[in-house]
Amino acid sequence: MLVIRRRSGEVVLIGRDVQIEVLEVTGTQVKLGITAPKEVLIMREEVHITRQQNAAASGEISTLELASLARQFCK
Amino acid sequence: MPQVLTKYFGSLEYLEDDVVQFPSGLPAFEEELEFLVIEPAAKAPLAFLQSMRQPGLCFLALPILAVAPDYALAMTLEDLEALHMDTGRQPEIGREVDCLAVIAPPQDGLLTANLLAPVVINRSNRFGVQAIRLDSTYSHQHPVAKPEDVCS
Repeated sequence: MLVIRRRSGEVVLIGRDVQIEVLEVTGTQVKLGITAPKEVLIMREEVHITRQQNAAASGEISTLELASLARQFCK
Repeated sequence: MPQVLTKYFGSLEYLEDDVVQFPSGLPAFEEELEFLVIEPAAKAPLAFLQSMRQPGLCFLALPILAVAPDYALAMTLEDLEALHMDTGRQPEIGREVDCLAVIAPPQDGLLTANLLAPVVINRSNRFGVQAIRLDSTYSHQHPVAKPEDVCS
């Protein structure tokens, strides 16, 4: 992994078309400004994880698993 | 009563009030804007989120408080706005919103619940959103059950 130290207002370039600027640093949070061509997909990692998790969750759940869950959570 | 074809329950009569509008769909299913919440008494507290458009698309879910009794919501302003809710505070689970954790089939033998991104439904207007947290307080793969337990 390439590690680069940047301050607020400084920029990192990725390839020819992608530019990431550190807009603001407050406590443990960093605000980034990203400039990239429309076709470059940009998302928070949590969104990517949730997309994958939803795709997995849309699969088949067996009656055995349902029974197991219902039993575990049955009041 | 209107009917809808479902993944697990065949053709089902439903109440319009049980249909939830997701203005942005769900992540990876952005075109699915309407889901029916099915809560069969025999399988309580399990809930099923059935797509109104695709009979083959149905998510299994559990009330988040059944999985994590002290769960604290951390919805973003955008998600609160999507539900037409007060953006100045977090809504109360059970009173103002229903909150469900989506269950994923077993990987490594465990069913898991996504606590990173709960499905939150405004009880008064039936708008819903999958509210992805900005923090890392909760896991997207919180273990909930071992299917093999049932065989013993």
